[in-house]
Formats: sequence, structure tokens, C-alpha cells
Amino acid sequence: MSEMREPAFDRTVAWVLRIGAFSCFFVMLAGLMAGLFIQGPIPLQIERAGVLLMLATPVVRVLVACFLFFQEKDWKYGWISFGVLLILMLGVVFGVGEH
Amino acid sequence: MVTVLLVVLGFFAGLLGALTGIGGGVLLTPILALHFGIPIRQAIGTSLVAVITTSAASSSVHLQRHTTDIRLGMTLELATALGAAVMAYLVGYFNRNALEGLFAAFLLYSAIMILARGGKVKEGHPAPMANGETAIPPYQPKRYPLGMAASLVAGALSGLLGIGGGPIKVPVMFIFMNVPLMVATATSNFMIGVTAAASAIVYYRRGDILVQYAAPLAVGVFLGSLLGARLAPRVHTKVVVYLLVGVMFYLAGNLILHLMRGML
Repeated sequence: MSEMREPAFDRTVAWVLRIGAFSCFFVMLAGLMAGLFIQGPIPLQIERAGVLLMLATPVVRVLVACFLFFQEKDWKYGWISFGVLLILMLGVVFGVGEH
Repeated sequence: MVTVLLVVLGFFAGLLGALTGIGGGVLLTPILALHFGIPIRQAIGTSLVAVITTSAASSSVHLQRHTTDIRLGMTLELATALGAAVMAYLVGYFNRNALEGLFAAFLLYSAIMILARGGKVKEGHPAPMANGETAIPPYQPKRYPLGMAASLVAGALSGLLGIGGGPIKVPVMFIFMNVPLMVATATSNFMIGVTAAASAIVYYRRGDILVQYAAPLAVGVFLGSLLGARLAPRVHTKVVVYLLVGVMFYLAGNLILHLMRGML
């Protein structure tokens, strides 16, 4: 399996990561800039959106890979990706408050 | 003012990370803890955001060179993500001194390992072929159980200290799993994003990611790693690596001092 190279697959996943990284950068930068001019909670909320976008980027990357594997009828790796997705969701679903 | 300082700090961490292959989280966590007065657990959570940023930026480059084994990476991620999420949860019950001590020990260990290898942290990238791709010899990954076990440990370490775990994954893939070094490095880098996200989500839910610090750091890290990737082929990295080793010893020493002062 592993010697198989699929440029289109690589490119799609690379695009997800690139779009994620660039959009987070611009959202966070916007938050920092807003902080220079605006008082109150809005700049921090924009920064928070950027941070959440950054945390979501790897999750979206796994989701896209999962979709692509199933589309290729590569069931084994489709389910493996789905498993990774479930593990990532563990932290989202289970409330982990202040200890 | 603090914000500007954080952007600059992130910029240098990203730049050095891209030049030397030593992840930015290793430096950012102790600096946040020592010089910004942030409790170590929040410092780890906050620098995890910078770790994800670095991984996303650099692995998109590796992917376009087609040196990443997505199937192998995804399989090992089952273990790294699980280890990271569970350990990130358990860290909530760790006391602060234990965490600082562990981090100092890890810094010392990494710095000594780099010195022992004569300042070599990453292999050179082979020249790409005419069509922009890189020649990779055919291979078949072996010993998956061993690889999964090592990945579980690397993931747990990542959840515990907010680091990438590359120093564990790369040699295991290369030596035991029969994966070419170039592919092992790219695949390890690829896995760091998901591993760090698995623990960062837990840290975030617990309130251990300080957004007002994470955002300026990530902005700086992003710019720094873009510049670093461009400069990398032209810079003598050995000098930079030794400089970093010095910084790591300094930070480890200060963490230990900080720890001892806290105990008195």
C-alpha cells in the first residue's frame, strides 16, 4: 500500500492544511489589530475564533482524508481515519472542567 | 506591549523551528512559564496552539513534495491521538511542581541528545527530481504493533508536555518499521498536528489555553516558519542548533531554580 503515491490525494490534504493555517493567521491578526483600536471583549473573541479554527484544522484534515478513502473504496483506511476522528471527538464530547 | 513581545517571541520560535527542526513548543512553554508568570499547565496548553500552527504550515509543504505516507500516518495517529487525549485529561490531576520537573528533565534530555549527535537534528533534504517530486525507494512498513506502541508513548508525552514527539516517532519508523528517513520525518511532522489537536481540545475545554497569549504567539510562529522554510537551505544550521542547545540548558536550569524556590 505504502509505495503507492497519489499526488491528487496529497494535494487535497495539503490544501486543507494550508487554508486552515492561512485563515487562522488572518483571523488572529485581525483580532490583534482590532485590539489596537477597539476596547472591550470583541478583539479577544476574534482571537478566540482564530484559535478554535486552528484546533479544528487537524480535525477537518482527518475528516477530508476519511471521505477520500471511502470514495476510493479503501475501506480499511477509511475506517482507520474514522477511528482517529472519534478519538479527536472524545475531548469535545466529554466535558473536562477545572480540576 | 505584551502582545508585540509575544508576536516577536513566536516569530523567533517559528524561525528557529523551521531552521533546525527543534519544535517551537519546547522553547515557548518554559518561556511562558518563567517570564510571563503563566502556570506551567496553561503554558503547555497555550504553546500547543503554536505547535499545531507549525505542523499545518510545514506538513503542507512535505505533502506537496509527496514524501508523506498518509496511510501510515493515519494508522499511527490512532495511537498518538489516543495517548495524547488520555494524558491531556490526566494532566489535570498532576501537581504543578511535578509538571515543571518533568519538563526540565525533558529539556535537559533533549539538549544532551542533540550534543551527543554532534548537533545534528534533521537530515538534509535530497534534491527534488525535474518534475518537483522527490525520489523515494519502494518500501513496505513492518512491525506495526511496535510502531503503534511507540506512537502511544509519543502521544502521551505530547499530551503531557505539549511537544511533538518527533524524537520518538522518527527513529521508530526509520529503524524498526523499515520506512525511509525522509518519509519518516515528513510523516512524523504530519502526525503532530492531529496529536497536538487531540490534547489541545482537552486543554481548551479545561480553560488551559490562554487565548490572549496563544493568538499573538501563533501569528508570530506562522510568519517565522514561513521565513525559516525559505532561509533553511542558505543558513549554517549547526551554529543555530548550538545556540538553541544553550537556550535549552538555560531554560532547564531556570525551571529547576524556579521549582526549588517554590518548594522552600
